[in-house]
Amino acid sequence: MKEVKTPLIRLAKRADIDKRKAWAIRIGSILVALILGMIPILMAGENPFVSYMIIIQGSLGKAGYIRQTVKRAIPLLGVALAIAPCFKMRFWNIGAEGQITMGAIFASFIAIKLGPSGLPLVVMAILMCIAGALGGAFWGFVPGFFKARYNTNETLFTLMMNYIAIGIVRYLQGGPWEGRPGTQIIPMFTSNARLPNVLGVYCGWIIVLVMVVIVHIYMNYTKQGFEVAVIGDSENTARYAGMNVGWIMMRTMLFSGAICGVVGWMLVSGANGTLNSDVAGGVGFTAITVAWLSQLNSFAMIAIAMLLAIIGKGSATLQTRLNIPASVADIISGTLLFCMLACEFFINYKLIFRHKKEAEV
Amino acid sequence: MKKTLTILLVVCLVLTTLFVGCKKSDSATKSATEAKAATKIGFVVINDESDQGYTWNFMNGMTAAVDKLKAEGYNLELLVKRNTTESSIAKDNNVELAEEGCAIIFNNSYGFEPYMLEAAAEYPNVKFVGMTNCGGQVDENPNTYNAFASIYEGRYLAGVVAGMKLNQLLAEGKIKAPVVGYVGAYSFAEVISGMSGYFLGIRSVCPQATMKVYFVGTWGDATLEEAAAKALIDAGCVMISQHSDTTSPALAAQKAGVFHTGYNTDMTTAAPDASIISCRINWEPYFYTFIKNYIDGKENPADYTGTIADGAVALTSLNEKIAAPGTSAKLAEVEADIKSGKIKVFDLDNFTIGGKVGTNDVMYDGFAAVKGNATYDGVFHESEFQSAPYFVGQIDGIEWLNAAY
Repeated sequence: MKEVKTPLIRLAKRADIDKRKAWAIRIGSILVALILGMIPILMAGENPFVSYMIIIQGSLGKAGYIRQTVKRAIPLLGVALAIAPCFKMRFWNIGAEGQITMGAIFASFIAIKLGPSGLPLVVMAILMCIAGALGGAFWGFVPGFFKARYNTNETLFTLMMNYIAIGIVRYLQGGPWEGRPGTQIIPMFTSNARLPNVLGVYCGWIIVLVMVVIVHIYMNYTKQGFEVAVIGDSENTARYAGMNVGWIMMRTMLFSGAICGVVGWMLVSGANGTLNSDVAGGVGFTAITVAWLSQLNSFAMIAIAMLLAIIGKGSATLQTRLNIPASVADIISGTLLFCMLACEFFINYKLIFRHKKEAEV
Repeated sequence: MKKTLTILLVVCLVLTTLFVGCKKSDSATKSATEAKAATKIGFVVINDESDQGYTWNFMNGMTAAVDKLKAEGYNLELLVKRNTTESSIAKDNNVELAEEGCAIIFNNSYGFEPYMLEAAAEYPNVKFVGMTNCGGQVDENPNTYNAFASIYEGRYLAGVVAGMKLNQLLAEGKIKAPVVGYVGAYSFAEVISGMSGYFLGIRSVCPQATMKVYFVGTWGDATLEEAAAKALIDAGCVMISQHSDTTSPALAAQKAGVFHTGYNTDMTTAAPDASIISCRINWEPYFYTFIKNYIDGKENPADYTGTIADGAVALTSLNEKIAAPGTSAKLAEVEADIKSGKIKVFDLDNFTIGGKVGTNDVMYDGFAAVKGNATYDGVFHESEFQSAPYFVGQIDGIEWLNAAY
């Protein structure tokens, strides 16, 4: 009787796992990912080992490649930092895409309206940064408010807000801010609205590194950061302790949205030079992976953002050199991310096979 | 743990041994090409070949040119970045191709140019060509170029074919009024110039023809294009043409039993009973000449306009089954006259704007990079100051149902 009822594989939460084992699982998962990644490459008729070499070489092989890789990592890192506090309090903000876009719109407004007046770059940068932060904060605050007030589903809410923000950019692109009629293109900003390069990459990389420290301190050494952590563990505990949970949610969303908005500013002012509806370009979603893989640790995010940027840039080179479809490269990076996220599951849970007391992964 | 590791290693081994063969052949071909140091040609494109229209047409021209040059002994390697968006991705892709060692990088979409120009400033030794655009020729970088073709001439010829069909239908009593419907993408110079050329071609053989235009506000959306074509047919149009990327206007025409002339690609396979002919830009001669000049150490022009005379403006084969009798002969005659200069498409005697003879002010696009007076000797000289079209006159006889910028 008992025998029948026991499933073949059961899951059990691991009480604790020693670090060596955890790392073994992590490395194992990357190996599995690399092996699975070979399948699409083989199907495209290419050699997987050569392909992996190209990914590394194409992202880190030359100074020019490294600059491109860093450029990709900047917004990933910035947005991962932004959503970390939300995730810490178990508020599923998947609206970073929209918050970046809204920040970009506000910053672009300053660039377009004040840029031609010839204000100095520093003044422009400060104004655009503030505008961007306000735009992002506003877009983050709205779902935060509704969640706190009416307990709306923040996942759907933030997701839908993304489309609205992108729609607004489309409207601006084809309407009031369009350059030549019919082009759907907003002209490039004047040079005083463009972020200068430092070591060949726009200076956003310095800004995000500063933000890493700020977010780290905020999350670990401030009262607000502590409140966020408490809500994440148990909302009821927080209430019992006398915290104003609704206000903390709104405040955290303001903070998170503001950082996204700053990233939006850096994207229009640094990477793009103008505003278009692709400004966020999926960064808001990819950054969720970055935040999650680094377990919301700000410093780990630097490494993970770089890793994703390496895969992204390397895959682009792979696509160019071997003339394989871009989708193959996407499958490889998707597989890698999936396996890395899945491995966290195996670190937290163990599999128990029938007839056995314990089985290792 | 050990078991898992063993399995992993075994899988690794199996995969490696299985595909050792392909590795060898791969590296063999690679080392062979590297030995001769091929000139790398980069191409940044919007969409990919599967659009069967815009980029497909560009890629056909490029591969034909590269094959031709290879056959002549030039050692080339083509690197393509597909599905590029008109954003900083366009710059990234240009930079990537430059880093990969491309000597020339072509860009096939208007919106790429601002980003291309930024990349061009960073890589002064690489040649950057912004096709369908006009900024490269006027900026300070000597390594940037533009190219387009006088496609309005091809439109004019397609118009002649359409006009003859209308005459036939009128003579047979199958239609009462020769009304033409035009599905446009956006109401700006490139589209306006093309549709005006088309209309003047129709008028040259069927003077009483009129045209209605509907702008869909996108370069390619099968549903919107079909809806626009249907609306035009419902409004009494018996001939449909288009400046948009998909074949859906042709299909709508076929369904409704009216006729059609297309753009970019031969649409007779999609709509064999409706589509009579298409005009397109044949990019092969430009790619061929530009690359050849570069390798031979010759200068290329900063701006280049392909014409009907040099084969850049081409027509697809005539659908004889439905074309009016005598169309081929007439087509050949008009083509020869355009080549010889006897026929000027924008001859001021052939059209009016607001009931008056067109002036430069109402015809010349204020947004063109190169400005000037193109209205002289009784003709509006399209594509002479810059290759990208700049005729924006609203000719009498063409009714704009909407405007979409």
